[in-house]
Amino acid sequence: MRRFLGYWSWRYPTYITYMLQASEYKPAAYIAWWLRTSDFRYVMKRRILDSTTKATLIRIALRLLYMVGIFAICYSLYVSISSRNLAWLLLGLLLFVVWPLVTAFSVLGLVWLGEVLIQRPKERAIQSRAAARSATLSARKIAIAGSYGKTSMKEMLQTILSVKLNVRATPGNKNTLAGNSFFIQNLLGDEDVLVFEFGESYVGDIAALCQLVQPQIGIITGITEAHLDTFDSQENLVGTIYELSDYLGEAHVYKNADSDYIREHIVGHDRLAYSHTGVNGWTVTDIHTSLQGVSFIAHRDGRSLPLVSGLIGAHHVGPLITCVDIAHRLGLNDEEIATGVARTKPFEHRMQTYILHGATIIDDTYNGNPVGIRSGLSVLRTVEARRRIYVTPGLVGLGEKSDTIHEAIGREIARSADVVVLMKNSTTDALRRGVERGGFKGRLILVGEPLEFYQNIDQFVAAGDVVLMQNDWTDNYT
Amino acid sequence: MKKVAVIFGGQSTEHDISIITALSAIIRPLRLRKQYEVIPVYISKTGTWYSEPELTDVLTFQTSRIDEILQKAKPIWLEMGNGLTLVKGGLKTTKTRIDIVFPAMHGTNGEDGALMGLLQMSGVTYVGCDLRSSVIAMDKALSKVVVQTAGIDVAKSIHISKREYQKKPNYFIDLAKALSLPLFVKPTHLGSSIGISRNSSYDELTNALEVALHYDDAALIEEAIPNLIELTVPVMGNDMPRAGLVEKPRTDPDEFFDFSTKYMNQGGKKIGTQKTSQGSQGYSELPANITKELYARAEKTALAVYTALGCMGTARVDLLVDSKTDTVYFNEINPLPGSLYAHNWRQAGVAPVQLVEELIELAIERHAAHQELDHSFSSNFLRQF
Repeated sequence: MRRFLGYWSWRYPTYITYMLQASEYKPAAYIAWWLRTSDFRYVMKRRILDSTTKATLIRIALRLLYMVGIFAICYSLYVSISSRNLAWLLLGLLLFVVWPLVTAFSVLGLVWLGEVLIQRPKERAIQSRAAARSATLSARKIAIAGSYGKTSMKEMLQTILSVKLNVRATPGNKNTLAGNSFFIQNLLGDEDVLVFEFGESYVGDIAALCQLVQPQIGIITGITEAHLDTFDSQENLVGTIYELSDYLGEAHVYKNADSDYIREHIVGHDRLAYSHTGVNGWTVTDIHTSLQGVSFIAHRDGRSLPLVSGLIGAHHVGPLITCVDIAHRLGLNDEEIATGVARTKPFEHRMQTYILHGATIIDDTYNGNPVGIRSGLSVLRTVEARRRIYVTPGLVGLGEKSDTIHEAIGREIARSADVVVLMKNSTTDALRRGVERGGFKGRLILVGEPLEFYQNIDQFVAAGDVVLMQNDWTDNYT
Repeated sequence: MKKVAVIFGGQSTEHDISIITALSAIIRPLRLRKQYEVIPVYISKTGTWYSEPELTDVLTFQTSRIDEILQKAKPIWLEMGNGLTLVKGGLKTTKTRIDIVFPAMHGTNGEDGALMGLLQMSGVTYVGCDLRSSVIAMDKALSKVVVQTAGIDVAKSIHISKREYQKKPNYFIDLAKALSLPLFVKPTHLGSSIGISRNSSYDELTNALEVALHYDDAALIEEAIPNLIELTVPVMGNDMPRAGLVEKPRTDPDEFFDFSTKYMNQGGKKIGTQKTSQGSQGYSELPANITKELYARAEKTALAVYTALGCMGTARVDLLVDSKTDTVYFNEINPLPGSLYAHNWRQAGVAPVQLVEELIELAIERHAAHQELDHSFSSNFLRQF
């Protein structure tokens, strides 16, 4: 009944436009979400519809289709009453039942037509112009790929290099072909350094981005189980990310040796393989972490450079030392490098801390991969706290490996927290199993309404608590 | 899921404060926990009982919407006997059996034991101080007597009933002259500092007593403690109570911690040129900035008072300190602290959700202990009669 009320709500076209947009216009994800939704009136829980041109056109088309349906139903009922014809009544009832489905699925055809006739040609044109423009740019171009840590690396680089150089980076998480093309088109041409974030969803994505941007330096920030629903296998994912190495050659690509999948691919001594111990002639010692940040000493050529960053967690040392090396290569002196590192601070929703009624909240809700989860948990284990509270819905996009990975994460959570808060969804059982098998003796809370929990988190915390919140599921995964 | 009835409002001068305690400190965290079905039970200013879902929104009470709701709502009544059931009439009578009652009624009929007596007789589990400790706690004169026998210091005072005062007012004013100025006049049975006044001369006492006896049928005239530091300590527990943080309200030496300071919007006493803010939560040092020895003594005194009065669940003990001699005096005890004093407990490391859960567990523990007592006694008395 609730589902039916949702169908015939005036906002139904808005709801399904939102569902399409949140699914990134991928038919399989959209259809799966539509089928499991029991009440359409509540799909827009975490976000609202972004009124882009595409979304607006779709919504208008759906509204028109919706109104056609209403008209057809009213007309059928009118004819059945006036002519006392049962067939028209049955037609009206049939339309009443099936029209919402027609609306929901015909939109896929609309989207496909729009993509084929308008969007793809437009994108190809933009990309072609962008590639041509990119070839003329004199700036050093740095491309960052990986299944995690890209945005953090990008923002670190931009912060540090900006002490001396004119640096621009792709905004937010606009890491697709379209996003990078748009970025290139809007450059002024006077930049010293350009930092590009390369996102991967399908095999060939990184290769295409390399052709577009034509970078000179590459960074692979790490590979873990992610997007396995689109890549089908871990090998495909690894191969796609390594398309950056295929383009640039191993000698020009920094790689995170702290990442298991990358370490397996390192042959011999790779001077650009970075880790918490150093990179390219730099060695790192004296790492200290706290909720205020991380500090360490970088050594090279007989000199020592003490560095302090506002980023939290020892897992930032590897990326930071990489940025130090790149800054050094691009002409920054030690003082400028130290100043730049000191300016790095937690980025929005990435180990970002704030105080709430005397409790420290670590907002790591943009962290959505197993490696990041473990890094966060290691921070939680080491901080002084009255209670260590861990909050997560689990991870998405792990395909068949989801249960195994979540059980392992659960065991790690068990030794890191006093209170565990799990947002109920498809990963909860596996996480819970892992927590219980990990010998957890604290308090486990299952939350059915994540948004309500986050909005009222002040009711769950007290002075001295440290709360780590990791990952956040968007509506299309609930 | 256990059904928890939160009873609030009532025919009391602290009706409005009770609404805030119920909605913000009890219903909200209990609901978030999702372990209980929370049922609001509101007693209007005219004494009618209601239970409607809309009675959990503070906006309802801040506007005329409350009158609209109460006009349409059906009153409820209680069915007692081996528990408590809420009964609502209408086309179809509905009955809701309650597992636990969480009282949130301050002042008359709520905090003074009347409600607790009702709940005790019904046999339902209920949170907070029981009938006996509530009666004593809400009687400033009686509570002073009890704690004094436990060896705790109290300020000198005389106790006056309204009836006796009306017969011979001058007698009591003369009696008060044996006490040193300044003098506080307080209604004996009210909380939230309602009707309290500070008097610098004996001539002011007549007026002060009229005000106090306007609200109550008895009053206390009490010597002020010199070199005063006011402290307040929330306590929680049954047989093994523990204290929250010792808190020091920020007041000028010549003023006191009155209703306005405690509750009013942006209320706060000026400290020099600095104004505190946030009403009830912005007025104090938390924890109190006093010596370690005094802090420990205050904590110990608060626990001793709580135990001496037989309190259970939670209460808030107010203390007065002569800062020259470091003597700690019992002032009064509040068996149902406003908003459960959640801000203090939070600073002490107890989150709001934890606080209400713990209070419910304490209630269940007490109820179980009470059930173990034998309440019947066989005798041949009737046969002899």
